This record gives sequence, structure tokens and C-alpha cells, in this order.
Amino acid sequence: MENIYIEGSHTNFFVPTVEFNAETGVCVLSGESFLEDTIEFYDPLVQWLEEYTSEIKRPMTFEIKLTYFNTSTSRSILDLLNIMKEYEDDGGEIIVNWHYDEDDIDMEEDIEDYMLDTGLEINMIPFDEDEF
Amino acid sequence: MNTINKKLSLGQSLFSEEIRISYKGPVDGKIITFLADYIYVINELSEKATRKIFKIFFELAENISKYSADKIKLKDGKEVGSGTIILKETVKNFILVTGNPIKNNDLIPVMENSKNINNLGHDELREYKREVRKDNTVKKDSPNIGLIAVALTSGNPLDIEINPIDDETSYFSLAVKVDK
Repeated sequence: MENIYIEGSHTNFFVPTVEFNAETGVCVLSGESFLEDTIEFYDPLVQWLEEYTSEIKRPMTFEIKLTYFNTSTSRSILDLLNIMKEYEDDGGEIIVNWHYDEDDIDMEEDIEDYMLDTGLEINMIPFDEDEF
Repeated sequence: MNTINKKLSLGQSLFSEEIRISYKGPVDGKIITFLADYIYVINELSEKATRKIFKIFFELAENISKYSADKIKLKDGKEVGSGTIILKETVKNFILVTGNPIKNNDLIPVMENSKNINNLGHDELREYKREVRKDNTVKKDSPNIGLIAVALTSGNPLDIEINPIDDETSYFSLAVKVDK
């Protein structure tokens, strides 16, 4: 299974950085997500996660470090988190860490809402933006 | 049209408010990201207000890009919606105002959704957002999810005004306040 690496960019749209590593099981989604075609961007990530959780089945750590994502991205994040929850329910080992600016109350509520929606435990890790 | 003129005016209200951003034209990814980045360099905005205006701006600008009835074809062949975006500062708030023509068929669900949004408190809005986001029958880029997010981020009601242009089209104006 191949790794996914997409370098984030900040030009015509905001493309997040994606680092999905099939050997280590560490997956990172960081930066800002505002895309021309959200589905086209996130569908391969969803497929990768489905393949990893059904075939590789090793422990995973998923790190989310998004400082901004638009509402169409929020649906794709929900898809990813639902796959992680299914994996956990089937006995898979997964840790989800979501890093967010400690002053961003809206982001904090978003993470709480994702936990309610999916039933997945997400470690909420606040950071000081000046030190990030 | 008087209220729209008031909302979108540049010249008449400068004594009581300052215009921080004013743009009229096609709204594509390039313009959205440029203006979004510009929000971060406006000196008068606090960190909290900047973050909120940034988030609200994206949703409203995307709605113009996708749903404005006034389409402009760019050199690369892409057709994007055109409209007006203004960020104003008053004594107590920042106000993001957008305006664009909209097909009446697209207008009815937006109006119904906005009325619903304005009747809900913060926790109810969060629950409504979760319901709509989970609903696979709703398109991922539906403007309705965006408007719920806008209301949640703003913490203030959506101020919508509609003025008929002809039998098929109306002028849609939306003002969203962010407290200082």
C-alpha cells in the first residue's frame, strides 16, 4: 500500500498538507482546506483509509492540525472520522489527536460536535498560535 | 432598493462606518483566497474578529461564486458567479455584506433555511448543523450548511434582503455582523 503525500499550498485555493504513512500508521492532515473540488481531493483519502483499516489493520495515529476548513470539507472530515470509528469498533487500535488554537472557540465546538456525531474519542490538544 | 443601497453604499455612510474591503466582480478561487489573506492584514481587526470574519467570508464568497445568477466567463473558460463583497466597520461591529442576483428557484430554500436559522439559539444551531451535515441527501456544497456555519460563527442573526429584478431573478443581499 502506497503512502500519500500532498504538499499544502496557499495560492488559488487552500490545499491542506496530507501525510498518510502506511508503514508507520501515522496520518497527518494539516493547514487550511478550501478546495476547488472537495470531493475529488478527499475521495482518495477516504479510499486510502478504508484500504488501510480493512487490509493493513495496524495501530494508527491520526493527527489533525487544520486551522481552517470550509463546510464542504467538514463533510469529508466526517467521512474520515466515521471510518476510524468503524475501525475502532472492529477492534482496530487508533488514536485521534486534534490540535487547535486555544483561542478558537468555534474550532473547539466543531471537534466536540464531531465526537458527538461519530462516537469517536478525539484528544483535543490546544496550542498557543504564537508557538505553533 | 433603498436598504440595499444603504447596505452596499460606499459614499454616503462613511461618517458612521469605515469600509475595510470593497469588491465587485467575478468571485473565483483566486479572488477569494486573495481577499481572505487580506483580512489577516487589516490592522483594525482583533485576532478573534479576524478569525470569525475569515470563516464567514469564505462561506459567503463561495455562495456568490456558485449561486450568483450573474455569471462571468473567465479566460480559462471557467464560468463563475459575480457579486459584491464589502467589509465595514462600525463602532460596535464589523459587518460583512454580500450582494448578488439569484434565480428565484434557488432563493426559496435559502429563505426558508435562513428563517429557520434565525429562530434557533446557539446550541440548537449546533444540533441543526450536525443534522444537516450527516444527511447524505444534502449536497456537500449546499449553501444551507454554509449559512448555518455563518450564523454560528457570527453569533448574530442573518440579515437578508430580497428585491425582485424580474419574474425569474431577484437581488439577494446578506449582512452578517461580528461583534468587536
